[in-house]
Amino acid sequence: MNFINRALKNVTRKMSKSLLLGLTFFLIGNFVIVGLGVSSAADNAKILARQKMRAVVEYSVDHEKMWEATKDFTEEESTEFYENNPVEITLDKIKEIQQDPRVKVVNAIGNHQMYSKSFENVLVGNEENNNSGGTYFETDEFGNTVEYEHIEPNISLKTNAFDNMIEFEDGIYKIIEGRMYTQEDIDNMSPVCLITDKLAEMNNLSIGDTVTLETMELRSLEYYEGATVEDITIEMEIIGIFDNSEELDPSDPEYDWMSPHMSPDNIVLTTESYINSSKLKLEIMAFDSGKLEYPDIEYYQDEANRPSLESMSYKSNIIILLSDPLDVDAFVKDYTATSESEYLVFDANNETFLKLSKPLDTLSIFSNIIIWLVIINAIVIITLVTALTLKTREYEIGVLLSLGVSKTKVVAQFFVELAIVAVIGFTLAVMSGSMIASSVGNAVLDFQVATADVEIDEDNDYNYYAETDYFTEVSLEDITSKYEVTISPWIIAQIYVAGLGMVLISILIPSLMIMRFNPKKILLNTN
Amino acid sequence: MSILKLENINYSYVDGGMKRQILNNCSFEFEKGKFYTILGPSGSGKTTLLSIISGLDSPESGTFYFDGEDVNKIGLNKYRRNKIAIVFQQFNLISYLTAGENVQLAMTETDNSVPKNQKEVAYALLEKFGIVKSKADRLVSRLSGGEQQRVAIARAIASNVDLIFADEPTGNLDTATEQEIVKIFKMLTEEYGKTVIVVTHSNAVSEFSDLRVKLEGGNLITL
Repeated sequence: MNFINRALKNVTRKMSKSLLLGLTFFLIGNFVIVGLGVSSAADNAKILARQKMRAVVEYSVDHEKMWEATKDFTEEESTEFYENNPVEITLDKIKEIQQDPRVKVVNAIGNHQMYSKSFENVLVGNEENNNSGGTYFETDEFGNTVEYEHIEPNISLKTNAFDNMIEFEDGIYKIIEGRMYTQEDIDNMSPVCLITDKLAEMNNLSIGDTVTLETMELRSLEYYEGATVEDITIEMEIIGIFDNSEELDPSDPEYDWMSPHMSPDNIVLTTESYINSSKLKLEIMAFDSGKLEYPDIEYYQDEANRPSLESMSYKSNIIILLSDPLDVDAFVKDYTATSESEYLVFDANNETFLKLSKPLDTLSIFSNIIIWLVIINAIVIITLVTALTLKTREYEIGVLLSLGVSKTKVVAQFFVELAIVAVIGFTLAVMSGSMIASSVGNAVLDFQVATADVEIDEDNDYNYYAETDYFTEVSLEDITSKYEVTISPWIIAQIYVAGLGMVLISILIPSLMIMRFNPKKILLNTN
Repeated sequence: MSILKLENINYSYVDGGMKRQILNNCSFEFEKGKFYTILGPSGSGKTTLLSIISGLDSPESGTFYFDGEDVNKIGLNKYRRNKIAIVFQQFNLISYLTAGENVQLAMTETDNSVPKNQKEVAYALLEKFGIVKSKADRLVSRLSGGEQQRVAIARAIASNVDLIFADEPTGNLDTATEQEIVKIFKMLTEEYGKTVIVVTHSNAVSEFSDLRVKLEGGNLITL
């Protein structure tokens, strides 16, 4: 007849007391289950909606903030401001971000418009109506008006500082032959490239062939004293052919104006390091020429601004793809604290998501308040009930103590008695709570959605044509459709843990009372 | 050889501003296997003495030894659990347990060696004291006073201790039942070799005992 057996006998043989206590636990359990169910559903809905969104973070210059800061400045003040607030993301910072274990891929992309020499671009299909290019007029050094023919660049050379791109991760680009450039290619500035399958097919190009491009119009060479055709010519070996699943939309109003380099078929991929090394000479020439031509402009006189491979690798915008969408907020928070400038910001583009998830946040907070109120009240009620019951059981405790039963075992018996009733009460509550949690949860959410202010501003972000939009937006329906109140095994486990926790806390004060009991006094009083 | 030896036990309390010395250098030796009765007028301190030597209370000063071992060294709780058993006037049974379960309770709690088939042993013990199985399965609150006291005695010997105390065990019983209970105590010493120390007012009880001891002036005197 150990303390567990005694507890069982007490519970089963003092049925009215057990029923009342069980009913209390049952009611408490129902409240807690509804609260936990609703809170968990709200959190899950947010998580699922967040997971639906891409785990993309943009680190870029906050032009709006800079404009706000400088809008009332004089030109001189403005120049000084920009000199004191470098708004470039350094390669060191980009590498630091890329090495973060949460990061999957970093797009530190460079877009270079080029002119193909050894091959033809893929036709866009708008050539008949395209009015881009054409002729334009300039005044020469003798004051004569000269007519020039403007040739549109036809190839977009995309570079990255790393050996992967978000487009490959997303399956937008797929290598169908050969390989992507490697870190070794980047480190060695290897003249290698990948071309689209359309370019390859049209020009009968294959792996191992060489392609030649020019970085600018031949006519522009005259601005660089001493520059030759070799300085603007780049030659690369094709190491890979990829398929780009992006397509143009002929119904788009801008379609007619598009240049060939804007076509997803006219993309060539190569390493950032190779292109920078190829363009460095001309960049330095331009700087030196500016130095001579504009002696009053401080920028050209400061040698620190002389172009270098390092400075050419700086970016004003990078896109970071994380492995887990749920890491986005923490990632943004962590890196915002270490941002190189207050005008360089990390943006997860989740303002809409945060605004839309407000009803769920309210629901979650409301549910958690209910849970804690119920738990605190339950502890107070059960403590009082147990303490009052103890008075009526003093005699029994005195008998047990006179038999040499330790006070710890007496407390353990009381705990087991409460725990048995609690487990039964909570088990019944799990069954009934599962049924009511869903309807209560849905009703509260409907009310929240109906009353919350979830007006969304129109999206003012503008993506340039043919520029990849890495972000995904969600709607209120996307979020609320994920809201489903279910009582998972985890919630059930939480109920039992919370219940036993309540019992444990509730037994504390009565236990202290028991510890102070003196068997002689009890027995003398009762006898 | 003594099973319980008292050495200079003192105990007093303050009553109405006056200090009352209940036990005054009380020394005594109780022999093994004997049936003792402690007599004395009301207020002489019999129950106080019993509560001290049964480990329910501690003396102000003095020592008492169980089988030659200082009880303080054994520990009062352990002493109550393994060395002695107490039978009270009010029986002190657990009301929500049956008679059999009350007896089993003593077997479960003691560290002494007890049989494994506790349920059967409990039934057998109760039957020995006149509680048949059908009654042994009843809640103790549904038994008569005499039956409850038999259950209390059965519980006392179930824990396999050598020393049994009883505080006015027949105080609530009629004369016929009183005699039956006293016979049981006698049997405990004769058949089971237990030492029984009974505090009582009753001459009928004391007549059955091997030794009659009187508490007088805070000390025990053999009559």
